[in-house]
Amino acid sequence: MLEAVDLSKRYGSQTALDRLNLRISRGEVFCLLGANGAGKTTTINLFLNFIDPSSGTARINGLDVAKAPLETKKYVAYIPEQVMLYRNLTGLENLEYFTALAGHEYPRATYVDLFRQVGLAPGVEDQRVGTYSKGMRQKVGIAIAIAKKAAALLLDEPTSGLDPKASNEFSALLKRMSDQGVAVLMATHDLFRAKESGSRVGIMKHGRLVATLSTAEIGHADLERIYLEHMHD
Amino acid sequence: MIRRIARKELTEMIRDGRFRVLAAAVLGVSVLSLAVGWKQYADISRQHQVAQAATRSQWLHQTTKNPHSAAHYGVYAFKPKSPLAIVDTGVDPYMGVAVWLEAHKQNEFKYRPAADRTAVERFGEMTAAETLQVLVPLFIVLMTFSAFAGEREQGTLRQLLSLGVKPRDLALGKAAGVGAALGLILLPAALLGVAALALTSDGGFLSGSVWRTILLVLFYLAYFATFVAISLGVSARARSSRLALVLLLAFWFANSLIASRVAADVASWLHPTPSAVEFQKAMEADLNQPQEMERRLALRTAELMRQYRVDSPEALPIAMQGVSLQEGENHGDEVFDAHYGRLFDTFERQNTVYQVGGLAAPMLAIRSVSMGLAGTDFNQHRHFITAAEAYRRLIQRTMNDDIMAHPVKGGGTADAERRGPYVAGSELWAKVPPFEYEAPATSWVLANTRWSIAMLAVWLILASVWMSRPIATRAI
Repeated sequence: MLEAVDLSKRYGSQTALDRLNLRISRGEVFCLLGANGAGKTTTINLFLNFIDPSSGTARINGLDVAKAPLETKKYVAYIPEQVMLYRNLTGLENLEYFTALAGHEYPRATYVDLFRQVGLAPGVEDQRVGTYSKGMRQKVGIAIAIAKKAAALLLDEPTSGLDPKASNEFSALLKRMSDQGVAVLMATHDLFRAKESGSRVGIMKHGRLVATLSTAEIGHADLERIYLEHMHD
Repeated sequence: MIRRIARKELTEMIRDGRFRVLAAAVLGVSVLSLAVGWKQYADISRQHQVAQAATRSQWLHQTTKNPHSAAHYGVYAFKPKSPLAIVDTGVDPYMGVAVWLEAHKQNEFKYRPAADRTAVERFGEMTAAETLQVLVPLFIVLMTFSAFAGEREQGTLRQLLSLGVKPRDLALGKAAGVGAALGLILLPAALLGVAALALTSDGGFLSGSVWRTILLVLFYLAYFATFVAISLGVSARARSSRLALVLLLAFWFANSLIASRVAADVASWLHPTPSAVEFQKAMEADLNQPQEMERRLALRTAELMRQYRVDSPEALPIAMQGVSLQEGENHGDEVFDAHYGRLFDTFERQNTVYQVGGLAAPMLAIRSVSMGLAGTDFNQHRHFITAAEAYRRLIQRTMNDDIMAHPVKGGGTADAERRGPYVAGSELWAKVPPFEYEAPATSWVLANTRWSIAMLAVWLILASVWMSRPIATRAI
């Protein structure tokens, strides 16, 4: 579903991403780990066509992102570190708006049901988003992804700053989506969350994917040890 | 999708406190300026009707007198106000509203409302046109400067673009949203304006101003659309909403407050006009040419002697006083045509410079078009001056022809002296038709403001193209 082939991004003499090769299938959750500046967000930006690759190709559902930027966006949903919504609109109006722009329309009952699905309490859908916590906004982001019927999710530090309960709920939602066949690429600093949510984890350093591990084959301690080893190299 | 974006923009704006305050201010000023314009229009129109009827009555009810005395008695011609002067008073307050038509002279216009104002009033007055030309663009700037830049700062733009929304659709949707918000404010004011026009139109609904009204609305919409497009284009390209606001306020300031003054100065520099004293002095020098008068009279006398086959002027069956007076008028007319013609041609050249200046600032373009359609620009003032002057010349010719047709028999004899000069009565006065002025057609106005219309079109097209290509899909 998501594929990077020798994907590179350079800014002058600085290499932000160096020949990334990656394939994420439907139902798989791939977590990118790495320090700040390792190339995680650059990878997501390249999949979203927010920046042009210097070389290589990013593909979504077999389509080259650079050649079909609008078409490929139909298949993905993006959830950044902070899902930004319109403060003067209610949660439901935001969900309705973003869903409509993604090309889908539903009756109000469906939107309300989506709010329940992502674990938002009854009544919050009619409150203005200005009153929402970060966790609530992230859940609206997931609701948008579900409403959009996205086949792939691109997540950039989605649980950063969330309390453990909210973070756990978010992970559960991700799990449910991946179980439904959604491919997930998540950039994160959170080793615990990566191990809990991911099918595989990739460790990035200086723009390069230096290791790829299957979470089924390693424990939390192993992941931490391997990660730190790479960071200390 | 564009409609959906527009609806969301409108909803957000309506819920925004800034919008409510600004909208109330714009609506309040619009309604107030229309009400003031309507009051002024109604007062002046009523005064004109009364005064025009009075001056006609005075002319018709003159006592018997020599027709030349009647020519000096004269009449007033009042420039009728177009109903759309409610919206745009144009040059009327500065050029005057009435002219005294008498023998020998092409008088200047009198009764300039601007001259009667106090210093404080000059700063306090805001016509509906000024509200539309200055205040509404400021409102547009304040409501749109953060349309893209603000979304970029908040992070919602990334969110939107990740959905695959076309930037062009986003720009058009936002433009439509601002347009709808503007409509909410201006529609009540526009309806009030149309109602005021309907109430004040004597000849029925808008009394022939329908096309002018429609065109005026369309041109103002084009002007607002230009400002919306420029504002969205700047917001899409500015690094921050603060920078967008500074850039747009600078443009608004230059467009609304500086451009007009600069264009007027450039026009005067390129096409200078004489001072009032210089103009008057030069005209009087040409008028006071006794030799020229003698030459003209001699030529005309010889022509009449040939026509009547007589050997001496005394043998002519017409009164030479009338001939002499008419020749004096003809001479004056030529001098007036030459001097006023040159002056007015210079004004029109200045006006063309001003209109072309619309390429630098769209307000110059809409101002010319607005005054033109409201019937209050200089071209229409000149059109009225020409009509009034033609009427003055008709009066003079009618009086002089009557004097010519009534030679005093035995002129120069004691009997003739005793009988006194020829006198005419109401029958002659009634031969002069009442002054009726027909304003030029809308097509005439459009032809005269073609440069401004072209400049407005250029602005609208360029700004729309610029706006509809606001950001690449990845420009975050």
